Amino acid sequence: MIATSLSLPKKALKVANFIPGLVHTPVTPFTRDYRVDYDLYRKIVQFHLRNGAEALAVQMHAGESVSLSDLEQRQLIELAVTQVNGRVPVIAHVSDSGTAIAVARAHHAENVGAAAIVATTPYYWTPPPSMLIEHFAQIGSAVTVPFFVYYAPEELPGVKLGTDTVMTLIKQLPNFAGVVDASLDWQFMINILSNAWRVRPEFQLLSGTEYMVSAGAVGATSMFSSLAGVAPKLARRLYDICRKEKYFDARAPQEMLAELRQIIKRAGPAGLKGAMRAMGRDCGEPRPPLDPLPAAGAQKLTAALDALAPLRDEPRGW
Amino acid sequence: MPLILKGVMQSPVTPLKHDFSPDLETFEKLLDFHIRTGATAISWPHHKGESLNLTIAERKAFAEVAVKVVAKRVPVSIHVSALAVEDSMELARHAQRIGADAIIAITPYFWKPTSEGLYDYFVRLGTSIDLPLIAYNSPSYLSGLEFTGDLTRRLIERLPNFIAMKEASFNSEKYLEISRAALALRPTFAMISGVEFLAPAVPLGGAGSYSSAGAICPNLCKELYDTCVAGESKRARELQFKLARLWDLFRDQYPSSLKGGMVAMGRPVGPTRPPLPTASRERQAYIATQLEELGILDTEPHGW
Repeated sequence: MIATSLSLPKKALKVANFIPGLVHTPVTPFTRDYRVDYDLYRKIVQFHLRNGAEALAVQMHAGESVSLSDLEQRQLIELAVTQVNGRVPVIAHVSDSGTAIAVARAHHAENVGAAAIVATTPYYWTPPPSMLIEHFAQIGSAVTVPFFVYYAPEELPGVKLGTDTVMTLIKQLPNFAGVVDASLDWQFMINILSNAWRVRPEFQLLSGTEYMVSAGAVGATSMFSSLAGVAPKLARRLYDICRKEKYFDARAPQEMLAELRQIIKRAGPAGLKGAMRAMGRDCGEPRPPLDPLPAAGAQKLTAALDALAPLRDEPRGW
Repeated sequence: MPLILKGVMQSPVTPLKHDFSPDLETFEKLLDFHIRTGATAISWPHHKGESLNLTIAERKAFAEVAVKVVAKRVPVSIHVSALAVEDSMELARHAQRIGADAIIAITPYFWKPTSEGLYDYFVRLGTSIDLPLIAYNSPSYLSGLEFTGDLTRRLIERLPNFIAMKEASFNSEKYLEISRAALALRPTFAMISGVEFLAPAVPLGGAGSYSSAGAICPNLCKELYDTCVAGESKRARELQFKLARLWDLFRDQYPSSLKGGMVAMGRPVGPTRPPLPTASRERQAYIATQLEELGILDTEPHGW
């Protein structure tokens, strides 16, 4: 354990009372020549707000954060905050390879009105635990809003987030509010919460995807959803049942969302935008180096979505 | 073959004498202990039973004792996975011959067969006997070799005796791919959690667990299962967290520390065969203090 003298919290921290709830994670739309389509972005934000989002987390990996310049990321967070206009909290994703770059982005996000910050383990590098702690500690202490760590070992396989690291960060960062889990790993989730709650009872586990039943059963309070752009009603139904802890009743919507996720996954990285297009909400194609969805893939995806009964109740178009 | 598995099932450790030779007498006591404390089925030898450190002849001898001592009080399944597939086939035939109720098998060791190779293996195994077959999925211990939803579906369609899966990915997505495929085709199919990961599994259709801590704290395991089935989420979480602390204690060089902990519970079962270490006296003492701190010594049976 690292014994660091703590600087006192800068303000009364809002850690304890911020539970993000159902968090939609919008895509970032591009024009045909790969420029950010800011007008369409506004429309996307509106769509999410009208369709059940209790918070937005902007430019997550579903929003192709890694394919956006620093300037674009800053403009998009500003635009999101302006467009949302206080209706729901906006969580800013600030991950980068270099600690200082992520720190500056976090600082900017708070200044323009982000309600919380989220960051992953750094891209490409595989720092030892002490430097991983340093990375997160610098980002978290750059802001006074709640700070969440996003853990996605399948996307970022080089670095493991251990319980010891989480416990050290809790000691160091008064605003370290929780872990957004995309590991889907029961042992990890249980270990984090069972240890963290002993020292910070308000510490949160947030499900990083729609696999909410098992996460909720072991204590997750919130759910990040990219599929909410495709099937917002289904995401809402699953989340509401889980928040009431009626997990047996949640099995059916959970299985439907699992099926939807697998269909989109099979279509490849352009699958999410392809599915949004199939629902009448064209957001363009992903930026390179991701491939666009080929015509045959799009047809197959549309056919699979058409065959999915639960999608019949979902909104088409904007 | 109407074998429905559910509840807290026990996979006993393998008692050994101080010279590492089989201790069949203690094995008999252990089987009786598990059944007396509520096991709904017995399955031996999982990795916890040091399966891979026993000779094929030893495995047969223990299996015969298991079937004889349990004497149909609960179903007995025999784990037949061995390094060589031909040995697994032989263990499966033996299990049938001695009157076991089912066999269980993991994806093959060491080799990295294709999904066709996996399919062929389980078909060959499953059709070689007239007993229910339980599959065992443990991707993190077998370099990613695993049951997909598709493989599960194909095997269920092919094998009428494929009735259950020991699921040890402990991963929501992997679990759901298997459970969705299996339960849609065969509603009585039993998804059985490895260790005691019941709280995240039961709401998704999980039928029970192959217990890891059952030789230490059968009451706690049973209470967790009952609480999960009753949908008491908050209480289930508390119990699951407590069992996670125990798992942290035992998972290191499993089952070495588990055997070490059984000493503190008055149920010594001897050493662990190399290359696994045997829990030292210091380690045993540490485990005993942890069990005391968790209240296990007060709430769980001591001795046989």
